[in-house]
Amino acid sequence: MTHQAYRLSIIYFTLFALLLLTTGATLFFSKIGFSFEAIHNYYAGNEALFMNAKSTYGQLETLVPHLGAMGLFIMVMGHFILFASKKRRKGIVTIFILLFIAALGDIVSGLFIAKNIGLFIGVKLLSFIALIGFGYYLSLLVLHEAYLGFKKA
Amino acid sequence: MKFTLVKDLRGNTLLRPLLGGLLVFILLFLSADIILKNDHIGLTIQTLSTTLYGNEEEYIEPVTFHFILELLHSDIFFMMMTLLTLGAIFSRLCEKNRLRILIINITMASALLDVLFLFGAYFFGPLFIPLWIGVFWIWHVGAFIMSLLSLFHLFAPKKALI
Repeated sequence: MTHQAYRLSIIYFTLFALLLLTTGATLFFSKIGFSFEAIHNYYAGNEALFMNAKSTYGQLETLVPHLGAMGLFIMVMGHFILFASKKRRKGIVTIFILLFIAALGDIVSGLFIAKNIGLFIGVKLLSFIALIGFGYYLSLLVLHEAYLGFKKA
Repeated sequence: MKFTLVKDLRGNTLLRPLLGGLLVFILLFLSADIILKNDHIGLTIQTLSTTLYGNEEEYIEPVTFHFILELLHSDIFFMMMTLLTLGAIFSRLCEKNRLRILIINITMASALLDVLFLFGAYFFGPLFIPLWIGVFWIWHVGAFIMSLLSLFHLFAPKKALI
């Protein structure tokens, strides 16, 4: 019966995870924007629009908590699915690795965009989309497995 | 999460103080969160509506959508991690199944509604403000009860648990 209580906590945890990803995507959209130009303006600045470039230390204030939080989030979410589903282990491990890479790309690319290295605008956009997409997929997978387990118990 | 696998948590001299320390920190986090929210956005209908919608007479500007989003984004993370850990410890220590399922459900559901109602109050008006205040207190009190019951089950002598 203890497992039933664990599963309940996990179900709520995944609902929070979906909300976390949604607020993250909304923040990105409303604060930065999803176009190449908007991302460049946000990090490297634009004199015509009176936008200052983001300083390295200014970016570190966002970067540091995200490094800790994203690492922890992916690890916790990942270990739930590893325990819950034995069928799709290989595929899921690939998703973790991709998630870690995407999270790192999303966090670090701003530093390079601020130095006017245009290539990283694509890295930022691609890694953010991958992070949100795989994050949703993993969360829904955990939710599905936990719900099935809860119903069986 | 090794504590989910150890059979006798109360008898484990390493895990008992570790979990005890974590529970005390969770209690401190919950208390500090109440103080911070009271200062930051307000915990009464009057103060929260001033924060969300501003007050022309006192020349107070309403908060921006970014402010609410950033506040909730970080809040969701801390809520999910704290409540998951607390839920796992509580499930392991409290043996009355109905009670633990009930408390976990009420606490977690009201924490989820906390997020949704604050968005509701910002976008759809003051109707959601008392609802948000209600669920804010419910999930904090629920988490307090879970922490205190877990501490009790962890440190109380065996006779007191029967």
